[in-house]
Amino acid sequence: MNAPHPSGPGGWDTRRQGRQRRLERAAAIGLGRLVPAARVVDLLEAVIEPGDRVCLEGNNQKQADFLAESLADCSPERLHDLHMVQSVLALPSHVDLFERGLARRLDFSFSGPQGGRLARLVQDRQIEIGAIHTYLELFGRYFMDLTPKVSLIAAQSADAAGNLYTGPNTEDTPAIVEATAFKGGIVIAQVNELKDSLPRVDVPADWVDFVIVAPRPNYIEPLFTRDPAQITEVQVLMAMMAIKGIYAEYEVKRLNHGIGFDTAAIELLLPTYAADLGLKGKICTHWALNPHPTLIPAIEAGCVESVHSFGSEVGMENYIAARSDVFFTGADGSMRSNRAFSQTAGLYACDMFIGSTLQIDLAGNSSTATLGRITGFGGAPNMGSDPHGRRHASAAWLKAGREAGGANAIRGRKLVVQMVETFREHMAPVFVEQLDAWKLKESMGMDLPPIMIYGDDVSHVVTEEGIANLLLCRTAEEREQAIRGVAGFTPVGMARDRRMVENLRDRGIIRRPEDMGIDPRMASRDLLAARSVKDLVRWSGGLYAPPARFRNW
Amino acid sequence: MNARQPFTLRRSWFEATARARLQALLDPASFREFLPPETSEPSPHLAVLDIPGAFDDGVIIGAGRLDGREVLVIAQEGQFMGGAVGEIHGAKIVGLLKRAQRDKPAAVLFLADSGGVRLHEANAGLIAISEIMRAVLDTRAAGVPVLALVGGSCGAFGGMGIVTRLCSAVIMSEEGRLALSGPEVIETVAGVEEFDSKDRALVWRVTGGKHRYLTGDCAALAEDEAADFSRVAAQLLAGWQEDVPSLAALRAEQARLSTRRTRFAGLRDGLDVWAALGVAEPGQVPLMDRDSLVDLKKGLPQ
Repeated sequence: MNAPHPSGPGGWDTRRQGRQRRLERAAAIGLGRLVPAARVVDLLEAVIEPGDRVCLEGNNQKQADFLAESLADCSPERLHDLHMVQSVLALPSHVDLFERGLARRLDFSFSGPQGGRLARLVQDRQIEIGAIHTYLELFGRYFMDLTPKVSLIAAQSADAAGNLYTGPNTEDTPAIVEATAFKGGIVIAQVNELKDSLPRVDVPADWVDFVIVAPRPNYIEPLFTRDPAQITEVQVLMAMMAIKGIYAEYEVKRLNHGIGFDTAAIELLLPTYAADLGLKGKICTHWALNPHPTLIPAIEAGCVESVHSFGSEVGMENYIAARSDVFFTGADGSMRSNRAFSQTAGLYACDMFIGSTLQIDLAGNSSTATLGRITGFGGAPNMGSDPHGRRHASAAWLKAGREAGGANAIRGRKLVVQMVETFREHMAPVFVEQLDAWKLKESMGMDLPPIMIYGDDVSHVVTEEGIANLLLCRTAEEREQAIRGVAGFTPVGMARDRRMVENLRDRGIIRRPEDMGIDPRMASRDLLAARSVKDLVRWSGGLYAPPARFRNW
Repeated sequence: MNARQPFTLRRSWFEATARARLQALLDPASFREFLPPETSEPSPHLAVLDIPGAFDDGVIIGAGRLDGREVLVIAQEGQFMGGAVGEIHGAKIVGLLKRAQRDKPAAVLFLADSGGVRLHEANAGLIAISEIMRAVLDTRAAGVPVLALVGGSCGAFGGMGIVTRLCSAVIMSEEGRLALSGPEVIETVAGVEEFDSKDRALVWRVTGGKHRYLTGDCAALAEDEAADFSRVAAQLLAGWQEDVPSLAALRAEQARLSTRRTRFAGLRDGLDVWAALGVAEPGQVPLMDRDSLVDLKKGLPQ
């Protein structure tokens, strides 16, 4: 005879039973698939149970803001001890959940504007932080040990059946819904409008349990718009060095740019300075990148073949739709972004990451953490790390690998470039002996200091003083002096060993602008393909529609 | 380097220094500065106030060639005290205009970039402005055209707004601004309800180059590029005949301005003025390129 199957105390389908119980409670108070906005609190209190793990869709850009506020309005008597899992803590309501006693534990990736409040809550022990993740780590754990019971998501529109159209800002939605819907969870979507028919189906109806038309459209932050008018000539100089000293030498074709004016300057030099160096088609052809408006001139000049995006950018919708050879768009014409896939591309399929930071120490570790703020990581550490599992070769990857490991290296290296001015605003030095992250670790009782990019992943540091190639350094001391050697007039830079720095320069580990044939006097804003947001609109043929705060016309 | 075509560098007039504008505007290597740095004196009034001066006191004067023609030039440096006119600054301009009356160059090019009188120098600055006005008129009366080029970050405001309109003709870029009272002055005096100086779009809609072109206050529009200012100025000068205006012509101009004042009375935005001028879609004007705007103006009812 067959041995009896072992089973849990409630059988093998307790999650499904739990789901059924929750759906029945909602039905019992008269709530069907389409829930009126006025009854959202009733719905949340019916389907969420104390102690549940709840995913609140807070992306980098798109926010399920109505559901977040509604959850914060629920009664802490009914709902408490919730475990929130969400990639970005962006809205005040996200933190209200903890202040009002609804939620207790948090696993997240990035907190941006709420970093200060979050730090206070941690110190007051009103919040337990499980861990601060990178995006890919967190998405991975949705499918491992942080699977949500209930997910509250945002979409552009729904049809009567409950199919969802997420539009250009798809972002995290597919990862969240997949983890929830296929593990006995409940998915609740806020939408901006109900439609008879959708442009396309991004999430099929049978993965979605409830749909609510929100009283106002979900908030989307224009996070990646940089006004070319604010790019300085120092940033132009650094961009020239990066292009000539790194992009051209490694023939970097596949890359990600961090957000900031430094990288915006590079994007705006591609159709001018870089094209003049004969680099069109040889560098920067394939991107994992949000649709940066400052990339428009390079696209229009034919420098860019493909861009896959984590999310969209406000105002870029029509431009993207009209450039479907470059961007990933659906048959309906609009873009579909996907943060999980774009992060994967950034980690494994890119040869270079270049971005800015607030502090760099003598080992090359960098951090954006400052005292009194917990800001988290987002996606930079995924893209700004050398994936040891990579196998496919490219010119850039092989060259970097051989510089680091010698001619017989058995693997390549990703280029991870930190691009900073030696001082940031208020004359705060970027180069420091010890990162503030260590003090933050102490005051917050963290296991590890919140380091954004680990020094051993960094291949180059670019400042206005020059480029330090850390791949070529053979000892920790060389590495330290290479960093000091480009740290300018910061205390760290002033404390350099001059003889050793000159020796590193002779070996090409440190290179000054003149070593690369760049005359700093030629670094002029006139080199920028666009000098204003209006110029970007003109490059786009009127397709780019910048948000009001970026317009001066 | 390979034999590649270098990309065309667009040298922004708006962002350039006065010296860079002159270098790019005039024929190569033709510029000769009068009172160059080693001979000039900084403002004594600023020194008394312990404010750092500039060796050229914020204005560069000299001679050069524009498309082969001998010209005298004045270029205000907006990056020094907003191009404001102080005593030495004004004396240099007046001196240059007097020289023009004597030497009769093909033209004087006046690269305006100034908020007007330098208030630190009080009466000395005010007198300087009125001397410049007189000198501009004397120069024109001597048969030498004075062209104002307005496209710098400070525009041409206050006394320099008047000086600019006394010139034979005005060339502006879209980025240039021309008016009497500056936006901040209006807001300070009349309140934010009257004029919001922080609303940059509005500021440009009532003082900017496109508005001045549509209302006929400037003769030609240039792109925000030194080479284009150069081209437009040369075009305007070719065949230019500087006549002393007749009394009848002055009266006609007076009448035109009075009519305009009543016609546009009560309009609060460039958009309304353009609509009154017969522009079908005024909202499109700010994004139009220069050539489209020139075509648009040609099609307007006279």
